[in-house]
Amino acid sequence: MIELKNVEKHFKKPIRGKGVWGMVKTLFSRKYTLVKAVDGVSFTVGDGEAVGYIGANGAGKSTTIKMMSGILTPTSGEILIDGKHPYKSKERNAVLKTIGVVFGQKTQLWYDLPLTETYELLRYVYDVPEAEYKKRIAELIELLDMKPFMDAPVRTLSLGQRMRADLAAAMLHNPKTLFLDEPTIGLDVLVKRKLVEAINTLKTEYGTTLILTTHAMSDIELLCNRVIVLDAGKILFDGALDEVKHMFGDKRDITISTKVASDYSGVKEKFGEAVTRIAAEDDGLKTTFTIDAQKLHTSELLNYLFAVYPVEDVKVAETGIEQVVEKLYQNNKADIDGIGTDENRDDDTEEKSEETAK
Amino acid sequence: MLKELKLYPKYVSMSLRSGLSYKADSIIMMLSFAVTEAVSLATIYLIVGSVPTLGVWTFQTLAFLFGFVLIPKALDHIFTDNLWILAYWAVRHGELDIYMTRPLNPLYQFVAGTFKWDGIGEFIVGIVVMSVFAPMTGIVWTASGIIGLILCAFLGIFCFTGIKLLFASLAFWVKNAGIFLNTVYNFANYAKYPVRYMGKAFASIMFFVIPFGLFLYYPVECLITGESIWWAVLYSSIAALVLMTLSLFMWHSGIKRYESAGN
Repeated sequence: MIELKNVEKHFKKPIRGKGVWGMVKTLFSRKYTLVKAVDGVSFTVGDGEAVGYIGANGAGKSTTIKMMSGILTPTSGEILIDGKHPYKSKERNAVLKTIGVVFGQKTQLWYDLPLTETYELLRYVYDVPEAEYKKRIAELIELLDMKPFMDAPVRTLSLGQRMRADLAAAMLHNPKTLFLDEPTIGLDVLVKRKLVEAINTLKTEYGTTLILTTHAMSDIELLCNRVIVLDAGKILFDGALDEVKHMFGDKRDITISTKVASDYSGVKEKFGEAVTRIAAEDDGLKTTFTIDAQKLHTSELLNYLFAVYPVEDVKVAETGIEQVVEKLYQNNKADIDGIGTDENRDDDTEEKSEETAK
Repeated sequence: MLKELKLYPKYVSMSLRSGLSYKADSIIMMLSFAVTEAVSLATIYLIVGSVPTLGVWTFQTLAFLFGFVLIPKALDHIFTDNLWILAYWAVRHGELDIYMTRPLNPLYQFVAGTFKWDGIGEFIVGIVVMSVFAPMTGIVWTASGIIGLILCAFLGIFCFTGIKLLFASLAFWVKNAGIFLNTVYNFANYAKYPVRYMGKAFASIMFFVIPFGLFLYYPVECLITGESIWWAVLYSSIAALVLMTLSLFMWHSGIKRYESAGN
C-alpha cells in the first residue's frame, strides 16, 4: 500500500541577474523564487491498483514519482510504502527492493555492454535467486520479444528496444509496485501499443501495483482503472476512470464524408437530444455528429446515415480522457476566476527573501 | 557493507569490459598522464639546477618526493574518478536518479561503476621514480620506515578521496562544483615541492586546511630528515579520518537536497 500524506516539495530557484555582473550578484544574493512543484498531495493506492497520474508539463507528476521512488526527499508531509519511507536512509533499501522504476527519458542499462550484463548485475543488487532469475528473464524475453537484441551493446538499441529492455530491468526482481514515468514517450504507435500490452500482461500476471504518468491518454485508458489529475502541484481530480468519463459524458464523434453537401436537419429530428452537436467542414462535404453514447448507439446513427445520405467515408472517434482533462482544467480555472482570487493562483512562484538562507 | 564488497569485482569487471570499446582512448589517456608527469619531473630538474639547494632538498630527494605523491594520487584516480563527473555533471543533469532507486548505497554505485585503469600510468611512473631515486636520497632504509611509508601512501588515498568527495558534493548546492574541485585538487601539485619553505601562511594552509602538505610532503620529509615516520602515519590517519567524515557528511546532507532534473 502506498500512502501520501499532505506531501509538498519546494524548489528554490535563485533569481538570476543578466550578464556577468548579474551572475556575481546572484552568488551573494539571497533572493530566490520558491516553486511549489508538489503542493499538499494526499492519496492512497491499494495493492494491485493501476493508477494513471496525469497533468500538464510541470504539474508535478515526475516530482511525485521521484519522491515515491526514493530520489527526492519531500519538503514536508510523509510518503509511506508498506509503512516505510523510501527517502529515509535507514528504510530505503527495504522499500527499494519492492519497487521497480522506469523513466522514459533515462535508462538504467549499462551503456556499452550487452543487456545480459546489466541484468546479471541487477540480479545481485536485488538478491534474486538464480533459479528464479532464469525463469523470469526467460518469461520477460519472450513477452517483450527481446531475443534479437540481447547480446547487442545497449548504445546500439533503438528507443523501442531500449524501453522494452528497461521495463524488463525494472521487473526482474518481481517488484510489488512499478513506477512508470512517461514510458511511451517518443515511441511510434505500433511499438507503443506493444509496450502497453506487455505492461498490461505483466500487471495481470504478477498483480503488480502500477503508477503511471504519461501524456498519451490511450495508455491510461488501456492500463489504468483510476486516474489522478494534477495541476500546479495540487490534485484536481482523483477517481475511477469510468467516473471521469461519466462526469463528462461518454461521447462519440462520428465524421462522414459525402460528395455533395446535404441538409442534416433530419438527423436532429429523428434522434433529438441524443445528438448533441452537428458541425460541418469543407463546405458541408465533411460533417461531424457528436452523440451521447449512453442514449444512442453508434450503429443506429450509422445505419440511418447510410440509408439516407450518400456516405463515402466514415470515421468514429471516442472522446478520450484528453478532452476530459482539458475540461477539468477549464472548470478549475473558471472556478477560481469566478471567486476572483486569481492573484493567489500564482502563489507557486511567490517571491521570498530569507535572511538566514545560504 | 558486505554486499557492496561482494559486488565490487562485478562492477570492476563491467567497467573494464565497457572500457574495452574505447581501448585506444584509454591507452592514450594512460600515456598522456605518464608523459605529463615525466615533463613535470623534468621541470623540477630545471628548477633545482637554477636555485641554491634548500636544506636537505636536492634533485634526488625532490624526485623521490615527486614519485611518492603520485602513488596515492594515481590509486585514488583509479578507484574514484567518477567524483569529477559528480562535481561537473551528474547533479546538474539528474544522473544520480538511477542509483537512488536501487537498494544499494548510491555513492558506492556511483563510484564503483567507473574503474579508471588508465591511472596505472601515473602509478608506474611513481613507482619507477621512487625506486630509481630511493638509493640516492641518503635515507637510511629500515623495515619500519618502509612500512610507515606504505601506510602513508595507503592513507593518502583516503585523503585524496575525501577532498574530492568534499568539494564534489558542493555540487548539490551550486550545481556545478567542478571549478571548486579543480582549484583545490591542483593544490596537490605544490606538495611536490618543499612545502615548509613556502612561507608561513601558505605552509599552514597546506598542512592544516587543504592538508596535501601533511599527507604527501610530510612523510617524505620525515624519512629524509631522519625523524620518525610514525608521526607522519599518525597525522595522515587523522587527516584521512577527518576528511572522510567531513566528506561523507557533506554527501549525505547534499543527497537530501538533490533535486534531480526536469524532463
